[in-house]
Amino acid sequence: MSNVMKEYFLDLDRAAKDPARKVAWCTSVGPAEILRAMGFEVFFPENHGAMLGATRVCMETIPVANAHGYSPEICSYLTSDIGAYIKGITPLTKAFGIEEIPRPDVLVYNTNQCKDVMHWFEYYASEFSAPIFGIHPPTNLPEIKPEYIDDVARQFEALIHFLEPVIGHPMNRESLKTTVALSLEATNLWSEVLNLAQAVPSPMTFFDSTIYMGPIVVLRGTEIAVKYYKDLLGELKEKIQENHAAVPEENKRIYWDGMPVWGRLRDQSNIFKENKACVVASTYCNSWIFSDFDPEDPLPSMARAYIKIFINRNDQYKEDYIERMVRDFKIDGVIFMAARTCPNNSNSSYNLPRKLKDKGIPTIIIDGDLCDLRCYSDEQSTTLIEAFLETI
Amino acid sequence: MDGTEEIYWGVDCGSSEIKVVALDGQGNILLKRKKKTLFPLQDHVRQALTGEDLTPFSSDVSGDIKAGHKIIATGYGRKYISFAHDALTEIKAHFIGVQKQCDLKDAYSIIDIGGQDSKVIAARNNKVDQFVINRKCAAGTGAYIEELGHRLEVPLKDMTELARNNDKALSLNSFCTVFSGQEVIKTLMNGERIENIIYALYSSVVKRVMEMTAITTDIVVFSGGVLEFHPELVNMFARKLEENNANITCILSPNAQYCGAIGAAEYGFKSSE
Repeated sequence: MSNVMKEYFLDLDRAAKDPARKVAWCTSVGPAEILRAMGFEVFFPENHGAMLGATRVCMETIPVANAHGYSPEICSYLTSDIGAYIKGITPLTKAFGIEEIPRPDVLVYNTNQCKDVMHWFEYYASEFSAPIFGIHPPTNLPEIKPEYIDDVARQFEALIHFLEPVIGHPMNRESLKTTVALSLEATNLWSEVLNLAQAVPSPMTFFDSTIYMGPIVVLRGTEIAVKYYKDLLGELKEKIQENHAAVPEENKRIYWDGMPVWGRLRDQSNIFKENKACVVASTYCNSWIFSDFDPEDPLPSMARAYIKIFINRNDQYKEDYIERMVRDFKIDGVIFMAARTCPNNSNSSYNLPRKLKDKGIPTIIIDGDLCDLRCYSDEQSTTLIEAFLETI
Repeated sequence: MDGTEEIYWGVDCGSSEIKVVALDGQGNILLKRKKKTLFPLQDHVRQALTGEDLTPFSSDVSGDIKAGHKIIATGYGRKYISFAHDALTEIKAHFIGVQKQCDLKDAYSIIDIGGQDSKVIAARNNKVDQFVINRKCAAGTGAYIEELGHRLEVPLKDMTELARNNDKALSLNSFCTVFSGQEVIKTLMNGERIENIIYALYSSVVKRVMEMTAITTDIVVFSGGVLEFHPELVNMFARKLEENNANITCILSPNAQYCGAIGAAEYGFKSSE
């Protein structure tokens, strides 16, 4: 895994320094397939935000963004990342010897997850004087109507027309089909990987999956991602055959809703392990399953896949989805992580935990954040998790 | 146990005080002790456990644990007591402590206000069914009362009497202890009586706890040191609960401050059965 990510970032760095190659920035659930098919190397600022969180460098950079007018209440990926840019640092330096993030030739965002990405990308478009394009799909959907798909497919078509002058030639439509086919293969493999956690005991935890998910976020549409997940699938299947338990003596199985607390992955993983509980499934890691991709119908199928995501749905869909996961993964309880700076990815605010509880599914809410550890109490979270595990 | 004395110690290592309880081999409470939470924590827990009448240590305070003695830790410091035989969260400890002392068969709720957090626990069918802990802020906790008492230079022991002598139902709005402090100062500058301010402070604690969750049981038990030492606060909780449920029965647990420690000791006792 570390080699795959290292090669990805080193190649991005080379591309940024090579006038013959173009770099596009894209949101994590944005139309990366279009960018890849057009020959762009793709950088994902949210992935950079997660790295800032996991390394806890964000605790130096968030305050810088706050002091420059970005509220502590908005997306802490954004504040971590913009603060790092202002401060002139990146975790890529320590990890891979890369001096700076790759300069964009174009920025493309999709507000299917939130509108903060728009503010975030607009900041950089201004900083780098780079062209920017936004996809604005319908949001919070109870169902996926054909007109929504038409709308977004047309926006993708407009994006292609916008990008063609940047690369200097029309897009090769066959290349898009190939890229979507590779994305589909990788995402199906990723889905298979995650579903292996239905095994009892589970061969993997949510905390493992937050690491395994790197390539499906940053390398979908490539052979590299396909190979990575084929290999991973094989390794995990072997573990199941050997009856390997990610959490020895696993006796409780937990579902995690919401973002990871990136700066506390190890600590939280240890809390669960000490209590013989395995977090076997999550909304977050499942968010990069795009089974609707169809290489023969690339733009409408991408439109469907990218508006269908969990975060872009109404509460009833989310309730039904979690219930299904509870059943399929033999879950004993659901933890909702209420991220202070990410209301869109926090599903505890509109009574969903209580509704599930009323259906006999134990739930608990933990306050925290994806990056900003000022919003997280180690002591209180530990007590909440342990008391929850004692109770179920 | 080969004629060896059996003693079950519960240590509730809270943010303000370390509470210690010992049970004998039949589960009877032998002693209760407390001392201020100071650091290094383990040294102070050892001191709290050590007494002339009874100690779990074989020689002096730094000695090994005697055969037959079992120590169970709870509270925020539970993980830092390396010589404890086991640990459980304060949620479970308070539940067991109340269960042991109050002999309640039916569904009931526990309101526990501690130094740095407040909890509401719903117990059904002899187990914890649900619980909530205050979120994000100190308002509604012992720290909140202590901080504002300090700013007003009112000793904690005088607060109940002052609150009872209020002549106005003032309230404080803020979720935040610091902003509440500002509200208090502004109100004082406007010439308000201290009795009304203390009433408002208590009232704010009640509101902060009552908005954590809907209490649906007909019995509510109060535990924790804050409620033991602020009887008017218990009365105000009871009045508020009666507004929503005329049939409610409110009980202050015996040894309210020691409920967690008693629960931890009882857990050790029951585990050995």
